[in-house]
Amino acid sequence: MNTKISKIGFQRFVIAGIFVFLFILMSILSPVFLTATNIINLLRQVSMVVIVACGMTLLLTSGGIDLSVGSVLALSGIICAKLAVSGVPLFISILGGVSAGLFIGFLNGVLVVYFKVMFLIATLGTMFIARGLAYVISGGKAVVAGLPESYKIPGRGYFGFIPIPVLIMIVICVVFYIIQSRTIIGRYAYAIGGRIETAILSGVNVDNIQLLLYSTCGMLAGISGVILSSRLASGQPNSGIGFEFSVIVAVVLGGTSLSGGEGTILGTIIGALIVGVLNNGLNLLGVHTFYQYILSGGALILAVILDMSLKGRGIKLRRRHY
Amino acid sequence: MSKNDNILEFKNISKYFPGVQALENISFVVKKGEVHCLVGENGAGKSTLIKILAGAIERNEGNIIFDGEKVEIRSVHEALELGIAIIFQESNVVDQLSVYENIFLGKEKTRLGFINKRKEIKVAEEHLKQLGLDFSTQITTGGLSSAEKQMIEISRALIYKSKLIVMDEPSAILAERDVQKLFNIIKELRNQGISVIYISHRLEEIFEIGDTVTVLRNGKMIGTSRIKSVTKDELIKMIVGRTLLNKYPIEKREVGSIRLEMKGLSVGSVLKDINFVAKKGEITGIFGLVGSGRTELARAIFGADPIDSGEIFIDGEKVSILKPSDSIKVGIGLIPEERREQGLVTKLNIRENITLASLRKITSFGFVSRESDISVAKKYVKELNIKTPSLEQIIANLSGGNQQKVVISKWLSTNSKILIMDEPTKGIDVGTKSEIYKIISDLAGRGTTIIVFSSEIEEVIGISDRIFVMCDGCLKEYLDKYKKPEKILSYAMGVIN
Repeated sequence: MNTKISKIGFQRFVIAGIFVFLFILMSILSPVFLTATNIINLLRQVSMVVIVACGMTLLLTSGGIDLSVGSVLALSGIICAKLAVSGVPLFISILGGVSAGLFIGFLNGVLVVYFKVMFLIATLGTMFIARGLAYVISGGKAVVAGLPESYKIPGRGYFGFIPIPVLIMIVICVVFYIIQSRTIIGRYAYAIGGRIETAILSGVNVDNIQLLLYSTCGMLAGISGVILSSRLASGQPNSGIGFEFSVIVAVVLGGTSLSGGEGTILGTIIGALIVGVLNNGLNLLGVHTFYQYILSGGALILAVILDMSLKGRGIKLRRRHY
Repeated sequence: MSKNDNILEFKNISKYFPGVQALENISFVVKKGEVHCLVGENGAGKSTLIKILAGAIERNEGNIIFDGEKVEIRSVHEALELGIAIIFQESNVVDQLSVYENIFLGKEKTRLGFINKRKEIKVAEEHLKQLGLDFSTQITTGGLSSAEKQMIEISRALIYKSKLIVMDEPSAILAERDVQKLFNIIKELRNQGISVIYISHRLEEIFEIGDTVTVLRNGKMIGTSRIKSVTKDELIKMIVGRTLLNKYPIEKREVGSIRLEMKGLSVGSVLKDINFVAKKGEITGIFGLVGSGRTELARAIFGADPIDSGEIFIDGEKVSILKPSDSIKVGIGLIPEERREQGLVTKLNIRENITLASLRKITSFGFVSRESDISVAKKYVKELNIKTPSLEQIIANLSGGNQQKVVISKWLSTNSKILIMDEPTKGIDVGTKSEIYKIISDLAGRGTTIIVFSSEIEEVIGISDRIFVMCDGCLKEYLDKYKKPEKILSYAMGVIN
């Protein structure tokens, strides 16, 4: 009767297989794909998605979702850049940017937990609010003039040969892997997403956990926002449009259930790498961004269909036999 | 006997799941106009067989012959079109639609594409009247009881001119008086020549309503027999493969001092001035029909729903219970009626479910201790004899009885002093039932205060030291020395005060 366990195991195996296949395919199709420079570049590209996807995985596992992360990314970048321009130390600017993300995340949590706003609506609302704030604070223009040289360090700097964003990504992956698999927060997230009523009747403080998960997701979007802004050496109010999409694709490709109760950080990392390899490879091959949109949308839908089939809940891949 | 007497024939049906043979060569025949009972313990294969009939899962071998023809059914709706109506436990009506709309769902009476509402209402009313039911066909279905929803599904079966109606444990969600109503309808169906496959755990019902009984055990065919030619004991032996010595293995024990006291507990018009005392090591049975306030009382004591007024004392001290975590802190555990929806997280495994309520105790600095997590789960799997290949088994794959043992383990791991059990043996087979009673007895023997809410009279009489009856939000102790089922039922129905 181990069918379910093995089905989920199989699902991970298939996703990992897809990643390896794409990786090899791109290596064959493009001569520059499998070079140290490009791989490091690829990791740097996916780092922001992965960082936010870690928090999103826990959130989705608990049955929630956060659509506002793309806008939060922009808002945090703007606030960080504005602070840096005004002359405060870099450390304080970063803290300001990250706090802005934490605040929006906390706001999402409060709306969902205390005002009982459905999470799709709550985070759709804050998605627009955060975007609007980014435009208002920046006056609609990129914040560039007057940024200190050190501003580029978080996004473009290196620690040894590892780019700083990649290093941050690795640390966050490890931390969230531990949170999910070893801590009470991870277990409670699964329980809440699996069956919220049972969790409440088992004495789980569902409100606090949800508040924490939304706040965390916002904070991680803040961190990614700071990294992006530093990489671009400017605060861009229109950055991160569609970012929430990339994050959700990565999480869902990684096998996290949209209905909650299932999901792993490891799966998410592979999911994000699939998205990264696909984008990077298509860029190298000179495929126009317009087509990449179509491919990304298709990938998300395919991911969900595949995920359900592999777990035995969707269309049947095997033939019927009598 | 001519072949035309048969409405349905299962021929050598086999089904394998990875690692398990769920059904092995199942063959039996359902005759026209008979009530054919299908019994067996949880995991015996009844549900699998019905799901194969409904086309929800595929069989590996064998044939299904319906009304003389070999059939391939791919969905519940295809079955319905053929003349087989399958009524599952979870009601299959659309709550937002009205009664008549549900009855005609998928078979609307139309004229030029427009629904002939007047005609539908008229025909629906005729059908309801024929079934002896007296509610309007134009109200929305959402507000109706499970019993009434079942009746709507039966009416729908009649609209489709079904020749066979399969009912999967219909009585599990019904109070006893509704069961009688259901039986009258089944008898009426039989008179009309419609066959019924009736699945139930309750042997009394089988003897009351069945003509024939087929027993499955571990996916194997044990036998088919006329009801008149078997005794209850023989049937139990067929089902469990052994003779059940004692159905209620409750041992004598010392009852200690007062553990729980409730004074003037009230919730709106649902619970009215409940006063109640339970002692250490005592098993209290509270009998109540659906809608009597039974589940509401269980939830109110546990803090799952807010109370308007009243006080709760534990070991003489007044406690304030506002939410479940408060009651867990003072040593109360709730085993809810809806096991899969409220007692368990079915996507998680046995270990994670067992330690869910006591997780804080084995957590330091946010980290869950792996060893304690495993050792706690292991301890209770062994102690309560939970049948599973591993602690990592997903709950959804366990039988109802083993699932219930996991819920009980969850509360044992929090060291609950008071265990509230709402319908603890609902949907659990005879063999495992007596195991659950044994567990209850052992716990009480160790001083745990047990409060069992139940709508099964025999169970309440069989296990309780003291019996209370709930009716219309009021709780009364049943003090009669002679525990007569009829009398308890009349109290619960409000016939006697």
